[in-house]
Amino acid sequence: MKKIEAIIQPFKLEEVKEALKGIGIDGMTVTEVRGHGRQKGHKEVYRGQEYNVDLLPKVKMEMVVADSRCNEVVSALVAAARTGKIGDGKVFVSDVAEAIRIRNDDRGDAAL
Amino acid sequence: MTTVATQPSSSAWEEIRGEFFRTGDAETALARRTAVVDSIALAACAELLLPALPKGFTLLAVGGYGRRQLFPCSDVDLLLLFESERLAQNAKPAIGRFLQRLWDAGLRVSQSVRTPAECLERHDQNVELNISLLDRRYLAGDGDLFGQVAEGLPRFLRGQRDPLVRNLSRMARARHAKYHNTLHHLEPNIKETPGGLRDLQLIYWLDRLRSPGATNRFPDLEEPRRFLFRLRCCLHYLAGRDQNVLGFETQETIAAKQNGGDAAAWMREYYRNARAIHREALRQLEMSEPQASNLLGQFRDWRARLSNADFSVARERVYFRAPHRLEVEPEHALRAFEFVARHGVRLSLDAEQRLEAAELSALPAVWPALRSIFSLPHAGMAVRAMHETGVLEAIFPELRAMESLVIRDFYHRYTVDEHTVVAIQTLCELRSGPYAELLSEFDHPALLVFALLFHDVGKGIGPGHITHSLAAAGTAMERAGMPEPNREMVRFLIARHHDLSAAMQSRDPGDPATAQFVARQVETVERLKGLTLFTYADISAVNPQAMTAWRSEQLWRLYLAAYHHLTSALDAERIERPVATSAEAAEFLEGLPVRYSRTHSAAEIDGHVDLAIRSRERGVAVSVERLNGVYRATLVTRDRPNLFASVAGTLSSFGMNIVKAEAFANRRRLVVDTFVFADPARTLELNPSEVDRLQTTLERVVLGKADVRRLLQNRPAPGLPSRSASLPPRVSFHNDASPGATLIEIVAQDRPGLLYDLARAISAQGCNIEVVLVDTEAHKAIDVFYVTSEGKKLDGGKEASLKALLVEACRPPAVSS
Repeated sequence: MKKIEAIIQPFKLEEVKEALKGIGIDGMTVTEVRGHGRQKGHKEVYRGQEYNVDLLPKVKMEMVVADSRCNEVVSALVAAARTGKIGDGKVFVSDVAEAIRIRNDDRGDAAL
Repeated sequence: MTTVATQPSSSAWEEIRGEFFRTGDAETALARRTAVVDSIALAACAELLLPALPKGFTLLAVGGYGRRQLFPCSDVDLLLLFESERLAQNAKPAIGRFLQRLWDAGLRVSQSVRTPAECLERHDQNVELNISLLDRRYLAGDGDLFGQVAEGLPRFLRGQRDPLVRNLSRMARARHAKYHNTLHHLEPNIKETPGGLRDLQLIYWLDRLRSPGATNRFPDLEEPRRFLFRLRCCLHYLAGRDQNVLGFETQETIAAKQNGGDAAAWMREYYRNARAIHREALRQLEMSEPQASNLLGQFRDWRARLSNADFSVARERVYFRAPHRLEVEPEHALRAFEFVARHGVRLSLDAEQRLEAAELSALPAVWPALRSIFSLPHAGMAVRAMHETGVLEAIFPELRAMESLVIRDFYHRYTVDEHTVVAIQTLCELRSGPYAELLSEFDHPALLVFALLFHDVGKGIGPGHITHSLAAAGTAMERAGMPEPNREMVRFLIARHHDLSAAMQSRDPGDPATAQFVARQVETVERLKGLTLFTYADISAVNPQAMTAWRSEQLWRLYLAAYHHLTSALDAERIERPVATSAEAAEFLEGLPVRYSRTHSAAEIDGHVDLAIRSRERGVAVSVERLNGVYRATLVTRDRPNLFASVAGTLSSFGMNIVKAEAFANRRRLVVDTFVFADPARTLELNPSEVDRLQTTLERVVLGKADVRRLLQNRPAPGLPSRSASLPPRVSFHNDASPGATLIEIVAQDRPGLLYDLARAISAQGCNIEVVLVDTEAHKAIDVFYVTSEGKKLDGGKEASLKALLVEACRPPAVSS
């Protein structure tokens, strides 16, 4: 099993969710986060006052999928989240040792 | 021992359940269940406790079980009373076996072990223990020991009445606050939310603490009580557990059985019953709390000083001094709400009841009174009071469509009317941060409140709710006598109230295309501000967690992007092919900024065209008119250096305080300058001839026949600025805001003559003012100038020298003593 963590632009959330739903991925955790990578922050000026916006609003999506589906899910996610501009985000993939469904103690892929 | 005594057959429970669903009689079901549980507890006690404890021990039923109101899956509350702690300690093994027997019988037991002394002392941290004894019932054991408690309890309750009432009230208020002080939850917890069973019990407890021995004192609550009892029984039986949340699915199931399947109508019945209980609970709390507060606190009740000829304030509540006036003068009701909105003091229950009974539907055009109420600092509190007393709905029957209306939604927490009131309260209670600042900049907060009031009313009328909301608001605005320009803003806010939320979810706020898209939707900065505030309030009222800091930041980014786009586009976007009613109008409009046509009504534009025609004869045309509390001077003439500064200076020389100004030029360099100014010394009001003199002087200055510097030598000396209000000047230059001009934004402490000094500094540097937008919020002046030097943007050197001059101009002049 693989855990896929994606940091994406907030306005891309609906599009990414739809893309994942299209390939049968319904289960995910979505968190509102702030951060920056190469995009860094920027300065906003309002009414003559400068504001440093160094941590930008992003959305973090997390999901665990079977090994066999990992590439397909990542491809769908990246395609849907991409605008081609700085700030599109990142995807991290890591191994998951075990998954347990609390309700009935299902284990492994069956728990996903 | 019988089977029923140790483990009731499932048929015993099934029989009670079956009878309940046949008859709907919850009282009988609860009494029968209590009797079965009694028999189990008595048998277990007789077998496992009494042989070892023939004296010094009593078994009591307390709480709901003590009242014989044991709901199908409720805890069985038992009090094990021991004459000493030592005896209780020694009986631990027997107690363990006794409780195990009850659990094995399928009962969820909640037990406490106490001595009589513990029962007769106050437990500030365990209020439930003291209160549960109000519903004590003897089950088995030492009668003398029970007698000790039964005899001592009335004396204890009398002696400790005030602290007990205080503890009970504190607990109830905390519970209400946990549920945001509203009963209008879409999926209410029928036990805990305001108007639920705990409130019902609170009423009985408070009454018993105050009036021991009194019975049947709330006949009006019998129907709501039966309704809630039946409902809780139903919930427990349907869920098979202690379920008190009335979820959407259960609402449908129950409505299908009782109400022909109309869940929304059935929920209105729930809210009606809950409201009756909540209202009485609040009345009881209000009656109880002052008794619990100390006399010194009441003596220091400074709010009483707010009392006036119409209203008195006592114990933080507003009372009518002459309630009969409501019958002959319904406007008196609106004055009461204005009092609430001004001072933030709630209505007393007495005042609420009088307002509920008042006949207010025939009130004439109410907009001036409502505008005043909606613009005051505590407008949110007043709107809630108007809604809860039914006054809002009496004035605007259109609002009844959303009353207690449940719309199924994964995110919304409240009924539509509650969502609306929470949104208005959120807006009106903004006190700090960028949105509060934005609200202070918005000219018409009352229109925001009005638009929020109607934005979702269409949900109670039919699909496509925005169209219905607009229609309802239209009728209401007509009846209320709202002026047309105000109605246009309300219609805009209602029609577009989803636009910014949708843009936040689907568009990149950092993308210039998003800024352009939003700017096109809103067209003006004023509308953008209104819609941003509206969106903030609307999202915040979805549920208490909806407006996260993250989402607030997203909305603010969107606002900034659109704001910058709109202000940058001021100079760039010009009217190319005007659609006009006459050749003169077309000639006048051509080349003016697009903003001009968006921010002026057709009547205003016609007036300007007239001035343009008149100006051909003498080179200038000026009009001065009085608006709501301020004056507006408009002039049309050929552009020339120092023009704007000269006009600003002339107004200052008359002692006028400029609060807003605009200057636009068309393709033929014909300028239309508008100045809105206050007359702090009431010179024009008290001397009507001064209006003519001002008009003539403006014309003479514009034509170069009078010297503004000489006029200013005679102007009244400005007052010293307040130290607390001092605001350091901020001057910023933006060369990328416009293709042809440099944008200068100045935020400074406002003072008489400021605009003249700034404009003169710009002219002194040989710069030309192309477009001006001047605004004032309280003591803060926000001035935006688009300037050029020899037809081009300013270079770095010119920027630096002009900045120094502008910062200097922002400082108040030295005042000679």
